[in-house]
Amino acid sequence: MLSCADDNCKRLRRRGVRELSCRAQLRRACKAAAMKPPPFAYDAPETIDEALGLLDEHGDEAKVLAGGQSLIPLLSMRLARPARLVDIARIAELGQIFLNGSTRIGATVRQCAVERSAELRTANPLLGKAIPFIGHGPIRNRGTIGGSVAHADPAAELPAVMLLLEAEMVLRSASGGERTVPAAEFFEGFLTTAAQPQELLVELRLPAWLPGTGAGFQEIARRHGDFAIVGAGAVVQLDPGTGLVTDSRLAFTGVAGTPVRATEAERMLVGHEPTIAAIAEMAAVARAGLEPSGDVHASAAYRRHIAGVLTERVVKEAVDAAR
Amino acid sequence: MQRFTGTRVTRVEDPRILTGGGNYIDDRNPPGLGHAAFVRSPFAHARVHSIDTTAARAHPGVIAVFTGAELGPHIAPIVTQGPPGMSCPRFTCLATDKVRMVGDPVALVIAESRAVAEDACELVEVEYEELAGIGSIERALAPDGPRIWDDLDSNVLYEEAATYGDPDAAFAAAAHTINETFVQHRITNCPMETRGVIATYEPGRNHFTYMGTLQGTQMARFVISTALSLPATNVDVVLGDVGGSFGQKSSIGHEELAVCGAAKALAGRPIKWIEDRTENLSVGGQAREETVTAQVAFDADGRIRGLRLDMVLAGGAYPIASAPITTLVGTLARVLVPGAYDIADYSFRHRAVFTNKAPYVAYRGPWAIETWVRERVLDRIARELGLDPVEVRRRNLLAADAFPCKLPAGPTLAGITLRAALDKAERVADWAGFRAEQASERARRAVAQPGQPGQPGRVLGLGVVSFIEPAPGPPDYGPSIGFTLPPERATARLEVDGTLSVYTSQAPHGQGHETTLAQLAADELGVSMSAVRVIHSDSRTAPFSMMGTGGSRSATVASGSVIGVARAVRDQVAEIVAHMLEANPTDIEVVDGVARVKGSPDKAMPLAQVAMTAWLAPQYLPPGRNPGIEATFDFRAGDGGWTQSVHSCFVEVDPETGVVKVLRYVVVEDCGDVINPAIVEGQIRGGIAQGIGEVLYEHSAYDDDGTFKAGTFMDYLIPSSMEIPSIEIHHVDATVVTQEVNFRGVGEGGAIGAPAAVCSAVEDALSPWNAKVVEQYLPPSRVLELMGVIPVER
Ligand SMILES: Cc1cc2nc3c(=O)[nH]c(=O)nc-3n(C[C@H](O)[C@H](O)[C@H](O)COP(=O)(O)OP(=O)(O)OC[C@H]3O[C@@H](n4cnc5c(N)ncnc54)[C@H](O)[C@@H]3O)c2cc1C
Repeated sequence: MLSCADDNCKRLRRRGVRELSCRAQLRRACKAAAMKPPPFAYDAPETIDEALGLLDEHGDEAKVLAGGQSLIPLLSMRLARPARLVDIARIAELGQIFLNGSTRIGATVRQCAVERSAELRTANPLLGKAIPFIGHGPIRNRGTIGGSVAHADPAAELPAVMLLLEAEMVLRSASGGERTVPAAEFFEGFLTTAAQPQELLVELRLPAWLPGTGAGFQEIARRHGDFAIVGAGAVVQLDPGTGLVTDSRLAFTGVAGTPVRATEAERMLVGHEPTIAAIAEMAAVARAGLEPSGDVHASAAYRRHIAGVLTERVVKEAVDAAR
Repeated sequence: MQRFTGTRVTRVEDPRILTGGGNYIDDRNPPGLGHAAFVRSPFAHARVHSIDTTAARAHPGVIAVFTGAELGPHIAPIVTQGPPGMSCPRFTCLATDKVRMVGDPVALVIAESRAVAEDACELVEVEYEELAGIGSIERALAPDGPRIWDDLDSNVLYEEAATYGDPDAAFAAAAHTINETFVQHRITNCPMETRGVIATYEPGRNHFTYMGTLQGTQMARFVISTALSLPATNVDVVLGDVGGSFGQKSSIGHEELAVCGAAKALAGRPIKWIEDRTENLSVGGQAREETVTAQVAFDADGRIRGLRLDMVLAGGAYPIASAPITTLVGTLARVLVPGAYDIADYSFRHRAVFTNKAPYVAYRGPWAIETWVRERVLDRIARELGLDPVEVRRRNLLAADAFPCKLPAGPTLAGITLRAALDKAERVADWAGFRAEQASERARRAVAQPGQPGQPGRVLGLGVVSFIEPAPGPPDYGPSIGFTLPPERATARLEVDGTLSVYTSQAPHGQGHETTLAQLAADELGVSMSAVRVIHSDSRTAPFSMMGTGGSRSATVASGSVIGVARAVRDQVAEIVAHMLEANPTDIEVVDGVARVKGSPDKAMPLAQVAMTAWLAPQYLPPGRNPGIEATFDFRAGDGGWTQSVHSCFVEVDPETGVVKVLRYVVVEDCGDVINPAIVEGQIRGGIAQGIGEVLYEHSAYDDDGTFKAGTFMDYLIPSSMEIPSIEIHHVDATVVTQEVNFRGVGEGGAIGAPAAVCSAVEDALSPWNAKVVEQYLPPSRVLELMGVIPVER
C-alpha cells in the first residue's frame, strides 16, 4: 500500500520483490499508523534443507529472518509484508566459523561473535576494525553477519568489507543446489543482491589475509552508532623489502546504491611509496569518481568531501598497519 | 530532626517507575477495550475527494470506522481561541474537505486489537487531489501562493507590533548598525512516552472519563466537554505517570479528541489510542520554527542603543486546541528579549503564519528565540568592534544597583545576580585558560602545512551566554503577557493514621513533584517524608487550576502552596494538642511525627493519636471545633521570580569533517534556594542536552512543499549519552527578594541557554574562517559550508 517513488524501489518492484523497503520509503510519513506487523506465518526450521524447502515452496512470499535487526523494524512499520517468515536462528550449521588460512563464516554468526573473537580479528583485521562501527552493542548481539550482507544496505559496513576482501557469498537453494557469487557481483543495487528469493545465504568465504597487509576502516556518522553518512575502508599490502605498495584497495559506504570500490584511485598507489602526497592524490581521484546524493543528514557535496577525507585517513591507517 | 529540603533525597517515584511498576496509559487495559489507529494523509496539502471504508468495516475484528463526516454528530468542530485579531479557523478533528499536513488524520479505525486496527487502516481507500504545499515562511507569505484555509484571505494567522522607548532616535544616534536575519529550525519535543488516551463514555450517568497523558487536568476537561457537548462537571480527567512532555502535552490534539468522539459514539466501550513514534515525530507537535530579522544599533563601546526586531513564526497547519501558543510565543519573546541587559529602545513585530506542517506546540522555554537572537547579536557586536564577547555582555548588563527596575514591557526585575554569575563563571569555567589554549592551537595551525592529514592545531571555540527566565516571574509578569493566573492552591488532610495527604494542581510529567513537595511538607509539618503522600493529576481531587504543570512555575508556586497548607495543618495540630495537653498552642512543636510541648518532652502525642482524636473522638477537641484536620492554602508569589544563568560551552570542530564535539559545559545559575539539588541539576542537564541536540542533531525537516522528511529516529536524531558531555553546575548564592518562598524554577533554562551557547562556541571556533552563524541548525555539512570547504547545497 505504501509505494515509493525512489528509483531503486521501482526497480525492486519490477524485479518482483514484493514491498521490499528502502530508507527513502521509511522517510515518507506513514500513511496509516504502524507499529504492529501485518499478519504473517512463521516457521523455525532446524536444518538448512528444511529452510530451503520452505523457501522453495513459498518463493517471494517468504522472507528469511536472521537477527531481525533490519527486518523486524521494517515489519513493524509495515514497510515489508512477507506472508511468511523463515527464522534461521535455530539452524546450528549456519552458526559456525572455520579458520584455516581462509576464513569461512556461517551466515547466522552474530556480529558480536566476530567482534569478540581475538582469533578472527587476527585472521582478518579489517573485519575486526569495521564491525564495532555497526550500530550499538545490543544490535551487534543479535544482528548476524549474513543478515547484514543479505540486506545489502549501502550504508552498512559489512557489504563494503566483503567488497574489499573480495569475499565469496555461498548461496544455496533446494532446486539449484549451491553456487558461489563473488562480492563484486553480489551487491546489485539498493537493498538488492544476486540472491534469489528461494536462495539462502549460507556462508561467507574470506580469502586468507596475506602477510604485509594492513587494514583501515573509519566513518563519519551523525551520532555514535548511527549508520554512517560515509564510511571508508582500505586494505594496503606493502613489499617488505622495498616498502612499495603491492596491493591497494579502497571502498566506500553511503555514496551510492551499493557499496563501491574506488578502482581507479586504488591503482594509483600500486608500485609506489604510500607517501602523504600520494595518498592525497589518491583521495582526490577517489572523491572525483563519486556521485553521491544528499539527504536530511548531509549534502552530496559533503559526502564527496568526506569520502576524500576518509580516504586519506583509512589509507594511512592501513599503511601504518601494514608496516 | 533531619531536614529534607535542600538535600539530595532520592526520588519517591523512581522505585515504582524503574521496576516497571509505573502507571502509564499503555499499562492500563480496562475490560472491553477497543484499540484505535488512524488513516493519515501522505500529502502535505490535498483535497479529499472520497473516502471508502467499506473493506475496512468488513475486516474481522473491526468494531467501527469513522470518517470526519461520520464523527461529526459525536464531536463538535475544534474552535481555537486567541487574542483579538487572531485568525481562528474551525476544523474537525478528522480532516474532511482537505488535508493540510503530512499525517493529517482522515479516518479512525477502532478494532479488537491495535494490529487489527492497523490492518484495517490499510484497507481504507482515500482519493486525494494534491495541491501545492507550503513548507517555508517565504512560501506562506508569498502574495500569490497557495492558501491553507480557503475561508481566510491570507496565510497570516496573527500579527502584532509594539515599540518601547524611541528606537528611531536610538538608531539615529548610534555609531554602528547591523542588519541580519536569524533562522531557527523546526524541532520536536520527543517525550519518551508518546501521546495517548483511554476514553470512556458511560451513557447511564452521561459521564466521560479521559485517562491521558497531559500536563494538567482542568483545561482538558473544558476542551473535551465543549467538544462532546457535555457539562464540564461530567468529564473527569485522570492522568497516571506521564512519560515526559516538554510542552507537547500542554494541549489535547486532534487525535485524542477524535478518540473521545469515537468513545462517545461507542458508548460504554473504553477506547485506547497510543501514538506510535512515527506519528509522534510527524504530527505529535513541533516547535521553534521562527525567523527574526534584527536591526541593531550600537555604540563604539559595544553598548546596544536600540533594536528593531521582526519575527515570523511558522505555525503549522492547525492551531492547537486550547492555548494560542503561536501568538503567545511572539508576545513572550517581545516582553523578554532585553533580558537583564540595558535595552530600553526597541520595536518588535510578530507574525505567525500557517504552513503545511504539524501543529506548532510549546517546547521547553517556548520564547527561547529571544535569548538566541540577542546573544547572537551580542557576539556580532563583539566581533564588529574587536571586543571580547564577555566584555560586551558586561557592558550591556544592567548595573547591579539598577534593581528593582522594570523591563520596557512591564515586568519588574529584582534580585538579578547575573554579574555575580559571570564573575563566578569566569573562575570556575576558566575562560582565560581556555583562551590561552585556543590561541596556541590557532598559532600551531597557522604555521602548519595546510591540507595535510592530521594537521596540528585544534579548532576550539568558547561560547558564553547569559539570560534570565521567568520562573515564575514577578506578579506583574502575567499582566504584561496577557496571561494572569490566580494564586496556586493546595489542600491537605491529616489522615486518621497521622499521615499527610497533600493535593496539588500540578500534573508532573518527570519533574519529581511527589518527591520535592513531600520534602517541603515533611519539613513544615515535622514528619518524615514517608508520612507524606502527594496526590496529583486527577481532576476529581486536584485543586482547580487551568495550568497544571508548565512555565517553570511549580518550584515557587506549588512549593509555596504546599508549605502553606502543611503549616496550616501543623497549626491545627498545635491547637488540638494544646487543648488536650493544657498548653499554649504556640508552645507546641512537631518533631519526627510527635507533637510535644516545647521543653517538656514527656508531654507529647504522636500525630496518629492527634489525628485519630480529631477524626474519631471530637469530644476531646476544643469546644465548637469541627472534627478532622483539613486545610486549604492559596499562595501568591512575590517579587523576584527570575532564574538566571550563565552558560559556558566549549567545543572542538574537526575542520576536515565539520563534526562538532562539545568538550565541556559549565552552568552557573541562581534559582534561589534549592529544594533538591539532584532534581535541579537533572532539570538543567536535561534542558541542555535538548539544546545541544537542537543545534547539532535535531531537525523536523520538510521540503519547501511540505513533504516531511524526519519521521523516524533514523532521520530525527536525538542526542544520546555519547554526544552530551558531563555538565558542570554551580550555584551562586541566592538572593532573597520579597519571596518568603525563595525557590525558583529551572525547568526551561537549560533549553533556553544551550542553543545560544553552542552556536556562540561554534562561531567562535570558526572565527579564523570568518564564518557567521545565523542559522541555528549546525550539522557537520553546514559547518563545512560555513567554512567554505564545500559549496552550499540545499
Ligand atoms: C538502531 C540500529 C542501528 C543500526 N546500525 C547499523 C550500522 O551502523 N551499520 C550496519 O551495517 N547495520 C546497522 N544496523 C542493522 C544491523 O546491522 C542488522 O543486524 C543487519 O543489517 C541485518 O542483520 P540481521 O541478522 O539482523 O538480519 P535480519 O534483519 O533478520 O534480515 C535482514 C534482511 O536480510 C535477509 N536475510 C537475513 N539473513 C539471510 C540469509 N542467511 N539468507 C538470505 N537472506 C537473509 C532477510 O530476509 C532480510 O531481508 C542497525 C540496526 C538498528 C536497529
